[in-house]
Amino acid sequence: MIRSMVMENKFLLIRDLHVKVGDKEILRGLNLDINRGEVHVIMGPNGAGKSTLANVLMGNPKYEITKGEIVYEGKVLNDMKVDERAKLGIFMSFQYPEEIPGITVENFLRSAKMAIEDKPIKVMEFKKVLKEKMKLLEMKEEYAQRYLNEGFSGGEKKKSEILQLLILNPKLAILDETDSGLDVDAVKIVAKGVKEHKSEENSIIIITHHNNLLEYLNPDYVHFLVDGRIVKSGDISLIDIVEKEGFESFKN
Amino acid sequence: MIVIKDELNSLPIKTYRWLNVNHLKLDERIEKDRKPFCKRFFEEMDDDNISIGSINNIVTINQHLSRINNEKQEYGVSGKMVDMAENFNNAGVYAYIKKGADIEKPIRIEYGMDRENDVVIDNNIIVASENSRATIVVDYCTLDDIDAFHNGAMKIYAKPGAAVTVIKIQRMNDNSNHFDSNIAVVEDGAEVNFIQVEFGSKRAVTNYISNLKDGGKSAIYSIYIGNRDRELDLSYYMNHIGRRSISNIEVKGALKDRAKKVFKGTIDFKLGSSKSEGREGESVIIFDKTVKSKAVPLLLCTEDDVKGEHAASSGKIDEDKLFYIMSRGFSKEEAMKLIVEASFNPVIDRIPLEDLRDIVRDELARKLIVEERI
Ligand SMILES: Nc1ncnc2c1ncn2[C@@H]1O[C@H](COP(=O)(O)OP(=O)(O)O)[C@@H](O)[C@H]1O
Ligand SMILES: [Mg+2]
Repeated sequence: MIRSMVMENKFLLIRDLHVKVGDKEILRGLNLDINRGEVHVIMGPNGAGKSTLANVLMGNPKYEITKGEIVYEGKVLNDMKVDERAKLGIFMSFQYPEEIPGITVENFLRSAKMAIEDKPIKVMEFKKVLKEKMKLLEMKEEYAQRYLNEGFSGGEKKKSEILQLLILNPKLAILDETDSGLDVDAVKIVAKGVKEHKSEENSIIIITHHNNLLEYLNPDYVHFLVDGRIVKSGDISLIDIVEKEGFESFKN
Repeated sequence: MIVIKDELNSLPIKTYRWLNVNHLKLDERIEKDRKPFCKRFFEEMDDDNISIGSINNIVTINQHLSRINNEKQEYGVSGKMVDMAENFNNAGVYAYIKKGADIEKPIRIEYGMDRENDVVIDNNIIVASENSRATIVVDYCTLDDIDAFHNGAMKIYAKPGAAVTVIKIQRMNDNSNHFDSNIAVVEDGAEVNFIQVEFGSKRAVTNYISNLKDGGKSAIYSIYIGNRDRELDLSYYMNHIGRRSISNIEVKGALKDRAKKVFKGTIDFKLGSSKSEGREGESVIIFDKTVKSKAVPLLLCTEDDVKGEHAASSGKIDEDKLFYIMSRGFSKEEAMKLIVEASFNPVIDRIPLEDLRDIVRDELARKLIVEERI
């Protein structure tokens, strides 16, 4: 009884999560709690399982939960379909966004918005909103008519992810290395976009290797993910540890 | 009375019998009363550079008949079907485009089959004179819930330097039969492009041949959808006769439920077709394991100095793309429809009429999503 009350109050609760890809266990008993409106940072060495965590939260069928639970707004997500999660307000900014030749950015996003909100949106009304958000992200207007991510540079793809974030306005955004491979100016623009999205209602999980993005965003918590587990959690001061020592001392 | 019991779309050379693709054998008799088609089916053109009329208006045809290259060549889904279309038709258009004329406005032909007019047997002849340019759009559709029948033939004569684009859209209902035979004579330096949208009919059998003379160019861009228990048999043949001729066959499809499809694409480099190039590729997106998809790409070379290639076809949908799209709120069916639409769009965009583009996109969504739920 008590447990369920706690769970209902929590926005996102991850308990003893074990996840396999193929035959390999990648997450090995991961725990994490996130409240509404909080910004959490997850850092960790390559191969630690950060993208795996993002994918499993979004529901990528390649990843198999073998043990544990993900509870989001009181609902167990474990077996929920990807699109149902999106409709509940979960969003992932992909480390490697897919190219979808043949569908324009505008058509894709308007259809996505209609799918998530389950109501029609007028073309003109949507155009206006899209234009505003693109301006904020310093994207050229003609990109609205380009095929989604096709031939976009690395930086443009990441901006396109943040554009999607701003349009779809999810309650839980998971940003998987959205700042990787971007130059200083592009990181600033991405940070501006994420800041625009940040609110008391919206929670954000930022997976990153760098603290560039974090300088702009003021995270509430920082977690170290090593070998499939959260090995340390704290406030932003943890970043200094990584800067000085890396993750060596957390490996076994 | 029309009765069909026939072997259709035979391959130019018979492959191993066990492949079961040498020809489509009709497993049921199609019986239909022959009757007139009493509807307007083409738009008059207000342009002196083109004369267009009903195929039965012998006067117009005779006027230009001397200019037509009457090459005797077998073509089409079968000899009998072509004979029916050429000699016992109830509709069809004859269009003649003058030398050097550039006809911007597409010639629009529309066979809307309804309860009173459920049989279309059309014979169409397009003559594009030297250095002329024209686009012909043909739409075969059913307007009522009927068992419609279509059997048609189209001959395209592209004189030296002419450029002709033929767009055929077939979106008849699931009770109907569709047979379509096409042949193009592509003379020196001429170009004939054929765009085919094959979305309808219980049984859709189409056949296209291009005869390419010196420097002739021809392309086929074809998209198809097979769903429920529908059957498709698509046969394309690029006949390279002249030097430096170029051909391209690009077929994209989506198959779901228990649909069956056979695609036969032949590039034939005849002796004397040196320096010619031909390529063909088919890709199909498979929704369900219960579909049957066969492809028979053939490359025939009597000439050495040619370049022919076929691109590998892919079947399964890209799981990573599917996950990406679904993560934006689309159901699996919607995401797959989106991937199909994305792959079809470059072909749909070649349809020069916006209303038809919209119809085709709606039809695509209906076939891949709405009918899913029935
Ligand atoms: N689809 C996959 N198939 C096989 N192994 C995978 C797959 N995805 C990730 N892995 C493996 O899982 C481990 C964790 O990967 P990942 O979660 O991407 O790490 P991180 O994002 O922290 O760098 C790595 O060893 C990686 O090679
Ligand atoms: Mg990663």
